Amino acid sequence: MVSDTTVPPRKQGYRVLIARLLSEPAFTVIGLLVVYTLAVTAAVPGFLGAGTLSAIFISLLPLLIAVIGQSFVMIVAGIDLSVTATMGLTSVIAGSVMTANGGYLADSALAVPVGIFCFLFFGALVGLFNGLCVAFIRMPPFIVTLATMMFVSGAAVLYSSWHTTSVSIGGLPSGFTRIGYGTIGPIAFALILTVLVVVAADFGLRRTTWGRWLFAIGNNPTAALISGVPVRAVQVSAYTLCGTCAGLSAMIYSARLETGTPVLSQNLLLDIIGSAVIGGVSLFGGRGSVLAAFLGVLLLTVIDKGMQFIGLTLFVVLSVKGAIILLAAVLDALRLRYAEGKS
Amino acid sequence: MDAKAVPLFECSGINKSFSGTQVLFDVGFAIKAGEFLGVIGENGSGKSTTMNIIGGILRPDSGEMRLNGDAYVPTQPNDAMEAGIGFIHQELNIFGNMSVADNMMIGRYPRRWEKLPFINHRAKRLATAEALKRVGLDVSPDAPCWSLAPGERQLLEIAKVVSQNPRMIIFDEPTTSLTEPECRRLFEVIADLQAQGIGIVYISHVLSDVQRLSDRIVVLRDGHAVKSTATRDLTRDGIVEAMVGRPVSQLYPDVPPLGERRPVIEVQGLTQPRVLKDVSFSIAAGEVLGVAGLMGSGRSELARILFGLDPHDGTGTISYEGAPFDPSPRDCVSKRMAFLTEDRRHEGLLLTQSLTTNLELVHLSGAGSGAHVPVDRKQQVSNAEDVAHRLRIKARDLVRLPAKSLSGGNQQKVVLGKWLVDAPRLFILDEPTRGIDVGAKEEIYRVIAELAGQGLAVMLISSELEELAGLSHRIMVMSRGMNVGVFERQDGGFDRAAIMARATAADVEAA
Amino acid sequence: MNRREFTKAALLGAVAAGLPIASFAQGSRTIAVMFDSLQSPFWISSFDAFKAEIAERGWTMLENISNLDDSRQFQQVQSMIERGVDGIVIVQTDANAVIPAIRAANAAGIPMVHYNRPPAESDAKSVAVQADNRTIMRDTVTALVEEAKKQGGKYKAALLIGDLGDQNAIARRDGFFDVVDQNTDTVEVVARIATEWNADVAFAGLTNALQANPDINFLVTSSDFLHPQIEQALKVAGKWHKRGEEGHVLFAGFDGDEGGYARLADGYLDAVGVQNVFFEVDLTLNALQDMWDGKEVDDLLLDPGFVITPYNFEEKRDEMWGYLVWKSQNG
Repeated sequence: MVSDTTVPPRKQGYRVLIARLLSEPAFTVIGLLVVYTLAVTAAVPGFLGAGTLSAIFISLLPLLIAVIGQSFVMIVAGIDLSVTATMGLTSVIAGSVMTANGGYLADSALAVPVGIFCFLFFGALVGLFNGLCVAFIRMPPFIVTLATMMFVSGAAVLYSSWHTTSVSIGGLPSGFTRIGYGTIGPIAFALILTVLVVVAADFGLRRTTWGRWLFAIGNNPTAALISGVPVRAVQVSAYTLCGTCAGLSAMIYSARLETGTPVLSQNLLLDIIGSAVIGGVSLFGGRGSVLAAFLGVLLLTVIDKGMQFIGLTLFVVLSVKGAIILLAAVLDALRLRYAEGKS
Repeated sequence: MDAKAVPLFECSGINKSFSGTQVLFDVGFAIKAGEFLGVIGENGSGKSTTMNIIGGILRPDSGEMRLNGDAYVPTQPNDAMEAGIGFIHQELNIFGNMSVADNMMIGRYPRRWEKLPFINHRAKRLATAEALKRVGLDVSPDAPCWSLAPGERQLLEIAKVVSQNPRMIIFDEPTTSLTEPECRRLFEVIADLQAQGIGIVYISHVLSDVQRLSDRIVVLRDGHAVKSTATRDLTRDGIVEAMVGRPVSQLYPDVPPLGERRPVIEVQGLTQPRVLKDVSFSIAAGEVLGVAGLMGSGRSELARILFGLDPHDGTGTISYEGAPFDPSPRDCVSKRMAFLTEDRRHEGLLLTQSLTTNLELVHLSGAGSGAHVPVDRKQQVSNAEDVAHRLRIKARDLVRLPAKSLSGGNQQKVVLGKWLVDAPRLFILDEPTRGIDVGAKEEIYRVIAELAGQGLAVMLISSELEELAGLSHRIMVMSRGMNVGVFERQDGGFDRAAIMARATAADVEAA
Repeated sequence: MNRREFTKAALLGAVAAGLPIASFAQGSRTIAVMFDSLQSPFWISSFDAFKAEIAERGWTMLENISNLDDSRQFQQVQSMIERGVDGIVIVQTDANAVIPAIRAANAAGIPMVHYNRPPAESDAKSVAVQADNRTIMRDTVTALVEEAKKQGGKYKAALLIGDLGDQNAIARRDGFFDVVDQNTDTVEVVARIATEWNADVAFAGLTNALQANPDINFLVTSSDFLHPQIEQALKVAGKWHKRGEEGHVLFAGFDGDEGGYARLADGYLDAVGVQNVFFEVDLTLNALQDMWDGKEVDDLLLDPGFVITPYNFEEKRDEMWGYLVWKSQNG
């Protein structure tokens, strides 16, 4: 009987090289950041000033929180399209509780704590629903969260128009709006909040069994199940945390706008998913980190800000951002093909 | 040994039904400590179901299992492992995105504090290194798993099981994606495990492996355990007979006699840089030309070039039915060439479509039809019926049932059959029986012989020399992209040793 | 695509993006013009008018469009403040959500003017320029009622009302009733059609009204962008006739876009209340100039607008922004 001998390692070296390059999107992102910043600075010298950079940094915090939440879901090979709608919903619910213009707890000492609780609770609630549908009814995440997005964004508009005559809820107490730009000592409150989320998420992903389970499920759910991973519970937890992060992010955005509005961040969805992909969180699951989320958010925000600075029209901004997200997605697909051999 | 009194593992009277169809009937067998038990059977005979029951993935409808004499009732995969039964699945449960250590410890991370889910990374690496050593796998615990070769992944999986101190390990088709040296390595590890008193349950299609390695063989057929015998008391024919359920007088049909030699395809000096070098041969109508050679010898590449799937920009000529020919897949189909590719599941079959649609696929893109020609539904169905009849495809409904509802052997026939709708004159078959069971193989052999008898020229590429010897008129041996010799059938057979020597000789020279 | 190509492409993009501003920063003043969208002719015309007028004054314009996203607009305002612009012109989506942006501008000492939409009440200081919707509508309807009286007879009226979440829509509705309530002997209102600023809703509402009251012969719309739907509905009801023809419906519009101009020129419309885009743009930029000069500026600056009718058509149309749009489209 003719038998096969070892396959000659023809492509092996080449494949490994490409895989290594692709598996470190951090370098690409940092390189792009530097090049882009220099290019914009050449055009508008004020761009590299400390004021601008710290402003960029402060402005990206709520986006980062939302992207970290999204990363949890993407690592288990899911996607949550409902985050922005969830942000709008939590914004109007919490706003209706806190507003001085006829809020449920207007002028009460409880207004701000209850408002903050509403952001977290309703965010988690929408996430929990998504997670249960995905894990237990085995619905595709795309459809579940797309439907939740429509439902929740509709509900948010209905709620706010039922609660007030105009579309948005103003008159939020200053104790709450301080979250947006207030400081504790010399440090921005939003920064402290974000750092807490970043540290907890990073620790959770890298140092706990829960984090490792996310990666295992994202790569191969059947194998995870056979290996004794509580797959469904972990999936539900990822979606719930994603919703909670959306609520937290909405809290900072609402505080900054001093307004509860159902359309709080309705155009932010692609920024959220795009940031994650740019940083190297895979659309196909099983890969991602808090650092990746941060780099993605940083690059996208700097690009956005730079083009605002130059004064380019929105449509140029949209095209450039879209092109970069598309490229990142292409790289992601290539990485999958060359590195992880998953087809 | 007192293990003789109480077997290591024993199951009896196991029944199992899926949605009303019974797939296991009173299955039972036993295994002793350190014993190698081969489990064989055709596809659908109930091997996987049985093993999944033992592994705790499925629950039996009735029956009992005992481990060292104690009742064993697993309800989930973890229970099996905790009881000491490891399971190496055919589809390896590897997480390519994670490190070796993570793969090893995924379900049982060492924790920093008992009650909190924080991983002790040091303990994780240490335990992993220890387990890797036990199977002799020399990779870093921190290496990402996507960088491992298939054999290393297999060993990793074994290490994962071994590190949990199993008493018995089930291997489900462990060699399908392994190279020869990797297989040898695997067998060494298994022998070592046996020596440690671990019972081995080994499922495989590769009868020669099972015959060589096992102490005892259990044969499953249609959900019944039809044989459980010491391996030394079994002949190969005896095994096959038990699997197929009828005497195997002859697995291979008679090779039809060749009449006047009328070449269908003639290849002269075909050269393609780094792939083929000066390959010449011809195939006549009614002739089966076997192509032997090691993997990477250029067999499949030759076929792909002939069919225009890979580019040919080197020298050499191809003439088809007497006329020079520059192949492209569309041309080939319209000139009545047919090609059964190696990777049938991905390239050959629309699994969710009906048989009629599948059978019609080639015809639709073939001679005389274009995007503008309306599809004649009646003609389609009658074509399909005709082919199904010729190939004896067993299907209840040609129009509505999806291809995936068929058994493996019948799926194979559909892939073959879709090329027959247009009555081809040359049929290239690349590994037509890879991964299918004996019964289905036999059917395919019969079809090949019949087609040749009807005047088709057949180019048969196979890794199994036995298969080539059973079906071919002549065998061309390839090595390193060259035709290194053509053997003629003599006295109803071939000199297999000579062919083997020729196929490997060039390789040795090269090395 | 490998990494080098990726980087190359990104570099190219960045360089290309840098080119248009090479000749930047020669003007003495830099104005950020921040719209929330460019989704209807009114906003496009306004935007173009700003461009032209700012260039005319020798200033530099930085444009920002927020795509109806409040957070993004706030960030854009911050960028412009960091960029050190001299003044900000803003069209916000949400009257509440713009307040932090005003505060930020206040803190940076940069004057801010709201074009066409005032913000919600707050302690933040800014100036709003707005059409005097109620007065313009009042004048428009008055012109239409005079026409009715001239022709004599009794009229059954229908009004297409905008989204009542929009202050401008409410003001226009009120302006309408200010006049018809004084002239009940001539005009009787038989249909108030809520459009929610949605063309499909408007079409359905008007079609129903015309079926319920086939004798409607006096029609006012709160915005010109609904003209195509109105024309369709009237055609279906057999009421689309020019002035002077049998069965002509007395018809007034509001805004002064190119559709309104065309129908006025063709004789289907009898009056259009025009928001004077050019005047409002001037008012906006003058307000900025005044604030730079340290003058006191009112919180709300009103554009009195004007009414264009067949009688003053020739002399007034050059001030009508829709006419300029129409002219550029029709050569």
